[in-house]
Amino acid sequence: MGVTPRRRTFAVAAIAAITAIGGLTACTKKNDEPSTPGEIKLVVDHFGEFGYDDLVKQYEQSHPGIKIELRKTAQLGDYRPKLVRYLATNKGAGDVVALEEGIITEFKANAANWVDLSQYVGDKSADYLPWKYEIGKTSDGKLLGLPTDVGGLAMCYRKDLLEAAGFPADRDAVSALWPTWDKFIEVGQQYRTKTGKGLLDTVTTAFSASLSQVGGDLFYDKDFNVVADTSPAVKQSWDLAVKLADAKVTAKTNTWSAEWQAGFQQGTFAATLCPSWMLGIIEQNSGAANKGKWDVAAVPGGGGNWGGSWLSVPTQSKHPKEAAELAAFLTNADSQVAAFKAKGPLPSNLKALDNADFQAYQNAYFNNAPVGKIFGEGAKTLKPVTIGPKHSSVKERAFEPALQAYEAGRLSAQAAWDQAIKDAKVQGAF
Amino acid sequence: MSTGSKRLWQASPLTYGALILASLLSLFPFYFMFIVATRKLEVINAVPPPFSPGGDFGDNFGRVLDNEHAAFLYGLINSVIVSCAVTLSVVFFSALAGFAFAKLRFKGRNILLLAIVGTMMVPTQLAIIPLYGMMQDWGWGATLQAVIVPFMVTAFGVFMMRQYASSAISDELIEAARVDGCGTFRIFWSVVAPALRPAAGVLGLLTFMDTWNSFLWPYAILDSDTPTVQVSLALLSSAYYTDYAQVFAATAVATVPLLLVFVVFGRQIIGGIMEGAVKA
Amino acid sequence: MSLSAPPAPPQLVKPDTHRAPSSRRFRLSRWDIKYSPYIYVAPFFILFAVFGIYPVLQTARMALYDWNLIGDHTFTGLDNFTALMGDEYFWNAVKNTFGIFLLATVPQLLGALFLANLLNQNMRGRMFFRLMIVAPNVTSVAAVAIVFAVLFRRDFGLVNWVLGFFGVDAIDWKGQTWSSWTAIATMVDWRWTGYNTLILLAAMQAIPKDIYESASLDGAGKWRQFWSITMPQLRPTLIFVVTVSTIGGLQLFTEPVIFGDGRILGGAQREFQTIAMYMYEKGFNDLQFGYGSAIAWALFIMIILVSGVNYLLIRRSVK
Repeated sequence: MGVTPRRRTFAVAAIAAITAIGGLTACTKKNDEPSTPGEIKLVVDHFGEFGYDDLVKQYEQSHPGIKIELRKTAQLGDYRPKLVRYLATNKGAGDVVALEEGIITEFKANAANWVDLSQYVGDKSADYLPWKYEIGKTSDGKLLGLPTDVGGLAMCYRKDLLEAAGFPADRDAVSALWPTWDKFIEVGQQYRTKTGKGLLDTVTTAFSASLSQVGGDLFYDKDFNVVADTSPAVKQSWDLAVKLADAKVTAKTNTWSAEWQAGFQQGTFAATLCPSWMLGIIEQNSGAANKGKWDVAAVPGGGGNWGGSWLSVPTQSKHPKEAAELAAFLTNADSQVAAFKAKGPLPSNLKALDNADFQAYQNAYFNNAPVGKIFGEGAKTLKPVTIGPKHSSVKERAFEPALQAYEAGRLSAQAAWDQAIKDAKVQGAF
Repeated sequence: MSTGSKRLWQASPLTYGALILASLLSLFPFYFMFIVATRKLEVINAVPPPFSPGGDFGDNFGRVLDNEHAAFLYGLINSVIVSCAVTLSVVFFSALAGFAFAKLRFKGRNILLLAIVGTMMVPTQLAIIPLYGMMQDWGWGATLQAVIVPFMVTAFGVFMMRQYASSAISDELIEAARVDGCGTFRIFWSVVAPALRPAAGVLGLLTFMDTWNSFLWPYAILDSDTPTVQVSLALLSSAYYTDYAQVFAATAVATVPLLLVFVVFGRQIIGGIMEGAVKA
Repeated sequence: MSLSAPPAPPQLVKPDTHRAPSSRRFRLSRWDIKYSPYIYVAPFFILFAVFGIYPVLQTARMALYDWNLIGDHTFTGLDNFTALMGDEYFWNAVKNTFGIFLLATVPQLLGALFLANLLNQNMRGRMFFRLMIVAPNVTSVAAVAIVFAVLFRRDFGLVNWVLGFFGVDAIDWKGQTWSSWTAIATMVDWRWTGYNTLILLAAMQAIPKDIYESASLDGAGKWRQFWSITMPQLRPTLIFVVTVSTIGGLQLFTEPVIFGDGRILGGAQREFQTIAMYMYEKGFNDLQFGYGSAIAWALFIMIILVSGVNYLLIRRSVK
């Protein structure tokens, strides 16, 4: 019985297991220890597309000794709980963290988690849209977040599909087709008759856009009580969504779903609401083959602000000064223009909005639409809305599912509304 | 088992037909995965879909590797590390404990064995929330230890090895070794462990596959810095934008190691499943 | 023990009762015999105590608190459980979990019985067919779910395309309860039917052949033999398979999550949100650890109940 070789493999195996466990950290991507002495590693946490890839390379070159890692989480819904866990356990958060408008109020509530950026970057109030800058501050004046982008609204549409259905394709003419949501519904009905397809992707994008157009108190009042059931803005936006569904002008493709993503390539729908940060997402989903087929027109019912973010530095960062400086760099005028060109987030920095390069910028993917001009014009007149602490949870997990169920014909309008209000109370509890 | 002996009935062509159909149904999703993985992105939305593989696998997998967010390569390496470490540890500790339960007499043996069998019913979900907090407290959040150490032993493994050791090792052999002056560990090492090899092999294969495939806990505790391959897959497929050719290329690559293990050790795996069934 | 120590070849082992052990060695070996077994089973119990029992007890404790990750822990007694009993979404998740389980298990068992019966014959390529049908079981759940989610898409999915030939309009698989359950049950069945086939096949092969032979002599046909011999003999195994499927089925998580585009809600109206998903939603998305723990316990209790019922059935069938 040859015991030895077997014994040896067994022993080697056991040792290998133990070594493997001991040496695990070697196999993780995160590297807290700088690879060369004196080098500082900064991690930037963000979701979706911020257009920072080239900017951080540029920053690394001009700041030797600093290495930057961009940690992208695709969806805000996955991003928020992760961030909460990082903060609660005081471990794991990036050095620079993006906070979206739907979640910043919640995170601001624990101000001790965040570095007061003003001690490193000074007073920047003159640089940004005033209301946007204010939201980044606490009530006692600490600067917790530097503004990145605002979500100026437009309507992106498929030129080729509208043309094929007998509509004008030129962006000004298209804008003139739908000055109001009622007109938009008429166009949608004609489009349905001609093509049998939905014009708009889904009612929930219109719901989000409408919330920002109506403005004022949305799901919360100023004291952060959930008022979703009585808020006029919510009701009005809800009614619009219901009207769109009733008129059958949507393709019933839920945002971020597989059908929605496929729809961009296959022309399942011909229009979608596009706050400027959506441009990058539309481009990626539609693919190179559809370059030049999308264009950008005005949104029915006037401008509004949907989305937009701030950059903050958690107090758990080991390099708050360097992190704050990086945040200031990423939000300065030049960087915001560069990010806009890369992925579409609309500058909130006043100098960026006045920048000639920005104003003249045409997006080649979107049929050379002068997106700088289209989004830039409205940016300075955007109205702030009251964004409560769990805004994004209430929107994404109470109202959107209810509207999707109504759109698909599985709930009556009343039942959908009841479900939304009930869920809003659960999701909105703060 | 009576695998080799004559069966009562002779298979009819109809039987073959049904089995071939079942085999095709089994294989089709794999085949579909390889088609999409080897073709251009656009085909995912083609109606009708293509039914033959293409030549774009290199491109697709290149995009997987370029995708920093999903960190697929890290996921693959991490999964190999985690699966190997868990497998070796489970096999070792299970063999040790299984041997003790089957062949050694000690106070409380039956009660302890019953306790082990009882724990097989406890679902992962029941421990996951405090485990999460514990890992964070220890600074093990988003580390591989967090997905290895809690799984270094399994009740199933101990139970399986115990069953095998009871029948495969005669008491005389152990007595003889003992009389010859071997200590218990020596007996385990030189007499029992070699005899347990077949069962250890099956347990190892099953553990490896289970660990490779485990999802809920890694999904909760790991992030895109230290993913396992399943977490990478989930990250790839739940983005704002899903490049299916890329996702399927990654899925195919994540599946191939398992299929290889399966092709090489298929007989043993099947034997293990069937033998376990009869014992239970 | 040093790795290079020479092995003790078993053939050297022979009784040598006359050799008197030194007293130190004797003490050592008495200690060895009496206590070393505990050392061998200790790793399991130590690790299990730390990573199994402690968290489970902690879950029980947390379930009695309003326990937020952020820092507030307020003792609330059974409030979480009371709330759970009145929580419509919890019951919805229970309904979904059991619904999907039934929809998956019944066809799965019938299919497995059928295939096992086919395989329990004289034929060529026996091993080949076994390998083929059990192959799905070695794939990762995440991979399965991703592939099936694509096959079951509404607009460009293969399943709808095939159904189109039969005049069926495109089905919004994620949009309705029955369709989402069907799609998820299909994933589960694809993965587990082959596995259960092998288990049933093993049990069938363990049935003594002379029973069949004497039945044949009595003129019983194949079908008759299946019902009056095979099925009764398989009963304990069937119950075992059902128990294992139940425990797995009640914990269903990955398939519905990935099917639902990675969202924990499981459809706009939670059409396919399972108990495990609801626990994850409350525990890890909303960070209400207390409530999540209560859900986890409810799930565990259900598993115990179902397993207990199965155990009673086994006992009855054995007697």
